[in-house]
Amino acid sequence: MKKTILIVEDEKSLREAIADILRRNDFLPLEAVNGKEGVELALSKHPDLILLDLIMPEMDGMTALKNIRADAWGATVPTVILTNLSASNEQLIDDVVTHKPMHYLIKSDWKIHDVIKKVKDILEMKDVV
Amino acid sequence: MKFKIKSLYCIAFALQFFIILSLMLTPTSLNAQTEVTKNAQVETSHAGTGIRVAPGELLPISVKLSNFGGGKRVDVLIRYSIFNEAGEEIYGNDETVAVETTANFVKTIQVPVGAAPGNYIAKTSITYGGQKVPATTQFSFTVERKIFGMFQSDLITFGGIIAVVGVIMIFLGRALRKHRRSMRLTPFDYSAIPHDVRTYYEILSDTIMEMRGRVGDEALLIAAAVDGLEINKETGQVISISGRPSKIIATLVFEYENLLGEKASFSLRKSGQKI
Repeated sequence: MKKTILIVEDEKSLREAIADILRRNDFLPLEAVNGKEGVELALSKHPDLILLDLIMPEMDGMTALKNIRADAWGATVPTVILTNLSASNEQLIDDVVTHKPMHYLIKSDWKIHDVIKKVKDILEMKDVV
Repeated sequence: MKFKIKSLYCIAFALQFFIILSLMLTPTSLNAQTEVTKNAQVETSHAGTGIRVAPGELLPISVKLSNFGGGKRVDVLIRYSIFNEAGEEIYGNDETVAVETTANFVKTIQVPVGAAPGNYIAKTSITYGGQKVPATTQFSFTVERKIFGMFQSDLITFGGIIAVVGVIMIFLGRALRKHRRSMRLTPFDYSAIPHDVRTYYEILSDTIMEMRGRVGDEALLIAAAVDGLEINKETGQVISISGRPSKIIATLVFEYENLLGEKASFSLRKSGQKI
């Protein structure tokens, strides 16, 4: 059965590029254009992993993660933050520590293929556990 | 009559002679086949690492004619020949030298350009007036093609050695890089740190290691200068933090971005994750 990956990203081209590569790697991508839609999709579809942008319209990524973590299922779903926002803000650090994404990745430093590799690593680790 | 006696006298002396043909630059000794007069000897010696020439190259031959005696000049006809393995003469050249008692000289003969790679025999024979028995000496040599100025077999040998050394160097280099990388990227164990601040230690440590992997040890210097953060300056391990942990992380990330122009990514370990 294909693993489901939820991509919460407002930048269409990046979202579609990630979805396309995920499909080619035998994943089933779900796409959300903002945090609000991301929370809805996450809680309804229960994806195996969430790729989450932070700065988005309507609802930012950290608020979305907070809402997802509040759910019993969402408390443990592996999440990877994929953003261009530098973690140089104390509140952001505290939120990261509280809501525990698995990775905090700077978009500009990561190729999509390397992100997909992280996704695979996480899911393999999850399967082992 | 007087002339005849003189000629016979010269011939008599010429019957006792040595021909020493040696290939220059070679150390071993060869016993050459010879058929000369009773007391005559022919010795061939060479110094070097084996006689190899490329087609078209010059083959130097050191020639020594001795024991002619008598103080009279004798015209000696010398024939230089090269024979292939089938016994066919592929090169021949004659020259006449006048010898009184001894003659030493180096003769270079050109191996034919069209000579195929293989074993050959360089044969030198002398003929002089009144000679009864032929005197011949010979040595064998190899013709081998040259590529980029090197003999083909040498090129293959050296090329092989260089290739093997190159492969070993590549593997060693990779192993060293992998070792260094693993040393840099192996997470430190912070299980002894109180649980409420352990994640901050882990984020700090991961950020430092990730940045070290990208910019080198400068990442350690920057981290060591952050207020409230004490690290091992050799390894980057976080030793202690004082003050608000999130502020220390935010400051470190800011400093990396400010001083290096690099934004920091990091990972969080799952609770109980083995390292």
